[in-house]
Amino acid sequence: MIINVKQDPIEFVPPAVASLPEPKILLVGNPNVGKSVLFNALTGAYTTVSNYPGTSVEVSRGHCEIAGVRHEVLDTPGMYSLLPITEEERVARAILLRERPHVVLHVIDARNLERMLPMTLQLIEAGLPVILVVNILDEAERLGMRIDLPLLREKLGIPVLGTIMARRRGLAEVNAAIASFDRRPATFAYAADLEGDIAKIVHRLHGDYLLDRRAMALLLLQRDDEIGALVRQEEVDFAAVEQAVNETVFERRSDLHLRISLERRRVVKGVLEGVVSQPERHIRTFGERLSDWMINPWTGFPILLISLYFGLYQFVGGFGAGTVVDFLEGTLFEGFVNPWLIALADRHIAWNWLHELLVGEYGIFTLAVRYAVALVLPIVGTFFLAFSIIEDTGYFPRLALLVDRIFKRIGLNGRAVIPIVLGFGCDTMATVVTRTLESVRERIIATVLLALAIPCSAQLGVILGLLAGTPGTLLVWTVCIVLIFLLIGFLAARLVPGEKPMFYMEIPPLRLPQLRNVLVKTLTRMQWYFLEIFPLFIIASVLLWAGKLTGALEALVRGMTPAMHALGLPSEASAAFIFGFFRRDFGAAGLYDLQTNGLLNPVQLTVAAVTLTLFVPCVAQFLMMKKERGWKVSLLIFFFVTTFAFAAGWLLNKFLLVTEVLA
Amino acid sequence: MKCGFCGKEIPDAPDVGQQSCGACSGGCRKVHCPHCGYANPVVSGLLRRLMQKSEKREEKG
Repeated sequence: MIINVKQDPIEFVPPAVASLPEPKILLVGNPNVGKSVLFNALTGAYTTVSNYPGTSVEVSRGHCEIAGVRHEVLDTPGMYSLLPITEEERVARAILLRERPHVVLHVIDARNLERMLPMTLQLIEAGLPVILVVNILDEAERLGMRIDLPLLREKLGIPVLGTIMARRRGLAEVNAAIASFDRRPATFAYAADLEGDIAKIVHRLHGDYLLDRRAMALLLLQRDDEIGALVRQEEVDFAAVEQAVNETVFERRSDLHLRISLERRRVVKGVLEGVVSQPERHIRTFGERLSDWMINPWTGFPILLISLYFGLYQFVGGFGAGTVVDFLEGTLFEGFVNPWLIALADRHIAWNWLHELLVGEYGIFTLAVRYAVALVLPIVGTFFLAFSIIEDTGYFPRLALLVDRIFKRIGLNGRAVIPIVLGFGCDTMATVVTRTLESVRERIIATVLLALAIPCSAQLGVILGLLAGTPGTLLVWTVCIVLIFLLIGFLAARLVPGEKPMFYMEIPPLRLPQLRNVLVKTLTRMQWYFLEIFPLFIIASVLLWAGKLTGALEALVRGMTPAMHALGLPSEASAAFIFGFFRRDFGAAGLYDLQTNGLLNPVQLTVAAVTLTLFVPCVAQFLMMKKERGWKVSLLIFFFVTTFAFAAGWLLNKFLLVTEVLA
Repeated sequence: MKCGFCGKEIPDAPDVGQQSCGACSGGCRKVHCPHCGYANPVVSGLLRRLMQKSEKREEKG
């Protein structure tokens, strides 16, 4: 049922098109009005996408069965007018001209009827079999708009339907309208002088055209070259047509394109009289006020801090890395799964090397599977759940506007929120997304910041979980990372040459997150993440096992011991840093083991957490950096980040020992 | 599918999860929004089938 909209029920009429060979349904309309959603809803999964002949524009084709008749469905590229400007519009019009549709579904946005109905008028005057689909009714209703669809249908003289395609509302009505479509020519009139001009041209057109002669005349008056060429081919006396057009354009001595557009607007205003009602004084909804608060720096930053506190600290750090990990890792794996597997291996595996490979210190089951399933998965799961909820509300574009001013100081702009936010999920994927930034300068700065100061979800979750239990440590860690992020960004903005592009974006409405969207996105992200890390964790575990057997690991740990001691950390901490080479999250899991074994005091825990956060990008992120920025830049970033991480850790250790902040 | 960042419609393509955008060899199960570049997760086959079943149930209901 459509909310707040008067809509007549459409009676089902047996198909009048059964005798036609596979009738065509064309979907036309502006971009972003829900054409593709309607196309998918009509056709299902079996569609083909191919370039329209002679162009690089893609057109989707599919099939559907309506009232027992198989129809071909075409999703045309977005178009604003029958008079084309872009290649997409040219293709969309070519489809309208060539495909001889049974029905043209003109999909429009209910919030912008006045802007979109002029094209409906053009389709009607072209004599095309139009059904008007007024989509996104829920958002229009949210803005307080009331649309009288039966009145609109009466005024336009064509079938008019209301839909909310994002929720598949109104699909049955669309199907019924197609099945019962009865082509009746609708007419409307422009001002008398323009009608006279149109009539002069129409009288001289005698060819066979797919578009109505009125539409052809209007396009000729607007100097449409393609239509001109078509008329030249069709007309015996093209010279008479050309002369009539030239005379009219000369007589009017005005921009006929503008004149016709203004006339259409006048007609649309008349059509919409009584159709749309909206309270004169628009009462600002809570959502709109909240949206403004999110963008305003005075209220936006407190809202950001509240979201981080509940979303990250409480939910991911407290619940995910605390409660869920305690249960899975502490109770399930340490209490049942690992002892059972070790006992099983003790009984059946005689070879020490195999025993070690499967259930030893770096065993596939005791390390890789435990880390992946009991540590990383619950943390990224809770992170992705919080992330998907925030994402579904439409908060991120507001965050982009909020931080735009700060980001400009560090050589970026609000657009960089996209890779930075995604970096909290996975830095490797976020490094790919830096390519969406406009200048090379921005891409380099964003890549450096991602490699240095943006922890990935699992790393962040483990660190939040570990530091939350020790008072003061989380505050020190947060201050360090934020300061380093700003400092390095500030310096990079001054050192890296290049242009500073502007940032602007259209803000989508704020909305309540939908449970289904959130669950689907969370599960999809968890599945992707798990499938990516699981084989890597096993490979890392095998490499560590091989290193232990050959003694290479011990040599590496010995080699890193002076660095660990310089940071004030025990030698055992080397393992977490070596793990971090493979994956950031693997290193974070190593830190978890160190802390749960009671090897770190609050100062050491903070220093290890800060250094590991800043420490080298993992192998996958490094390879992606190399792919995006090239060897030279990526190696430079790699060595800078490594040196900076250890220098910052060393300095922090000295500072904490001298000031006794965490004593 | 709507972009999780800018809210604009992302044109659906069949087997989009398997197609490569050029950044990697494909199979990353992400689709980059053509309007803002945000990486949106592509729903896996199993979940998609489950969703389609529940949609059909809703339509029948």
